Amino acid sequence: MSDVLKELEGILNVTLPGNLVEEVIKVEEGHFDVMSNVTNAFELMKILREDAGIYHLSTISGVEKDDEFNVCYHIQHRIEDEFREVPINFIITKIDKNKPKTPSMLEFFVAADYYEREIYDFYGIYFENHPFLQRLILPERWPDDVKPMRKEYGWEQIKEITMKITKEGLEEAK
Amino acid sequence: MTEQYRSRFRTLTDGSDAPPGADHHIFIGPQHPWAEEPAHFIIHLKGERVVEADIRIGFNLRGIEKAMENKTWRQNTMLIPRACGICSAVHQNVYVRLVDKLAGVEDQISERARLIRMFSLEAERIHSHILWYGILAHDAGFDTMLHVTWRDREIIMDIVEDFSGNRVNPALMLPGGVKRDIPKEKADRAQPMLDKLIKQVEYHKKVFTEEASIRNRLEDVGVLTKEDAKKVTPNGPTGRGSGLPFDVRKATPYELYDKIDWNLVYYNEGDILATTLVRLDETLESLQICKQILEQLESTQGELLARVKQRIPEGSYFARGEAPRGEDVHYGIANGTDTPERYKIRAPSLGNIDATLKRMDGEYVADMPVILRSYDPCFSCTNRVMIINEVTGEKMILNQDEFARKAIKAKKYNRPFF
Repeated sequence: MSDVLKELEGILNVTLPGNLVEEVIKVEEGHFDVMSNVTNAFELMKILREDAGIYHLSTISGVEKDDEFNVCYHIQHRIEDEFREVPINFIITKIDKNKPKTPSMLEFFVAADYYEREIYDFYGIYFENHPFLQRLILPERWPDDVKPMRKEYGWEQIKEITMKITKEGLEEAK
Repeated sequence: MTEQYRSRFRTLTDGSDAPPGADHHIFIGPQHPWAEEPAHFIIHLKGERVVEADIRIGFNLRGIEKAMENKTWRQNTMLIPRACGICSAVHQNVYVRLVDKLAGVEDQISERARLIRMFSLEAERIHSHILWYGILAHDAGFDTMLHVTWRDREIIMDIVEDFSGNRVNPALMLPGGVKRDIPKEKADRAQPMLDKLIKQVEYHKKVFTEEASIRNRLEDVGVLTKEDAKKVTPNGPTGRGSGLPFDVRKATPYELYDKIDWNLVYYNEGDILATTLVRLDETLESLQICKQILEQLESTQGELLARVKQRIPEGSYFARGEAPRGEDVHYGIANGTDTPERYKIRAPSLGNIDATLKRMDGEYVADMPVILRSYDPCFSCTNRVMIINEVTGEKMILNQDEFARKAIKAKKYNRPFF
């Protein structure tokens, strides 16, 4: 692991403290997975944003594991002289399934707003210090407690709910 | 950072939480559910100038990500192009590359299969860009250009139909390679058509750069500086028009883009004209890539399809591709069975909304149709606009044509918009 971490530090030209990083995996040449847990993620992202100067956030994905949630920030380290990008998947692990909570990265990336609200919609993960964590994508009538991308809701169940709220909407329109 | 971009954190649609100083509010959309990416723009004005702009999205949630978790990897190959109507090939390309990587067959894909994939991608970029600047000309009140560009677009559509059997959804790719070959007689038939299209696109470029009536509508309008662009992180042509020289084809080369001779296009001005010129130059580049590919196909042989097993081994991969509108991002997790554990798609338009809202700050309301068009939003949903006068409470409902006509008149005769 330490070799890969050193290689990544060489590319970014910063030191990443060992206690903040959980694991670094090299997916392929110039493409890394960086894992960190909920408590350390904000500190580590601060180093990546402010010291390494990473400003491009491609997207954020929510992932449901058996006993925890993961949130993955896909960021790009840009080397402008060479027109090159180094993709980094910044994975926040160990998000508690009963009370899912993780720090918001809105302070570092403006674009994080939409993506975080999307994950809040689909997985019900709460982003701390987000100033406006509200529904973004799901319809207004959608029940608050149903988080459609979680594994507990099957395809048929989602269909039923969709039909139900559509009918309600049509009846109200009459 | 949140203070600077607080326009986003408003939701009320009646304008009652408008920023101080705004006296008119324009509501654009939301529109027909069958249109792609319907969006609801709320523009707060002081007189003729925009104070703030806001957007609400999510009117067309189809649940593709959830649907993919319930289908096999093989079935998803045909579901994934439906994520977008016009850039279907690039979604399929990113997907098949992701599956190739996870299944470990990426070394077995022949050069010929990769060239055919690239041809499909570049043909799509050409027709999407021509479509876009045609509609941009229409929004700017230059309808002749719309008809000229769309007439010429048929050339590339005919080629795509000849090669794949479909006009906009070629669906040529499969994990492990491609479905169909491009035989020599079809390639020979396409070469003179491409030559003709190159001449036509050069003429389009001449019109956009030399014709004063269209140039004045685009130059110095909606300027997004490089500093602002770094904050709001646009991607694709929107970013390249503001001096961010990043194209996924160059940044992390995929398929055979590192072996083909082509130039990265970017401009530093940041106005709408710059993004238009990026797309015009890219169309010419793509046409010349297409010609190179057809020449190389003659001398390249190889199996079209490598075998990929139904069950994909455990793992995750993050793949990107350069769609006509910007970077297309997919993240897939496999769990060892024949269905994906999780599949995430981010289409480029979502990443460009911030930049478009930023462009609107302080601009004239008459420039709104052009600026809204600038990020190529698949935006068939601007067809109704409501304007509310805050003092009198008077409402005025316009459709898209009326809105555009009013904007054109205001610009042409230098008259107030209302």
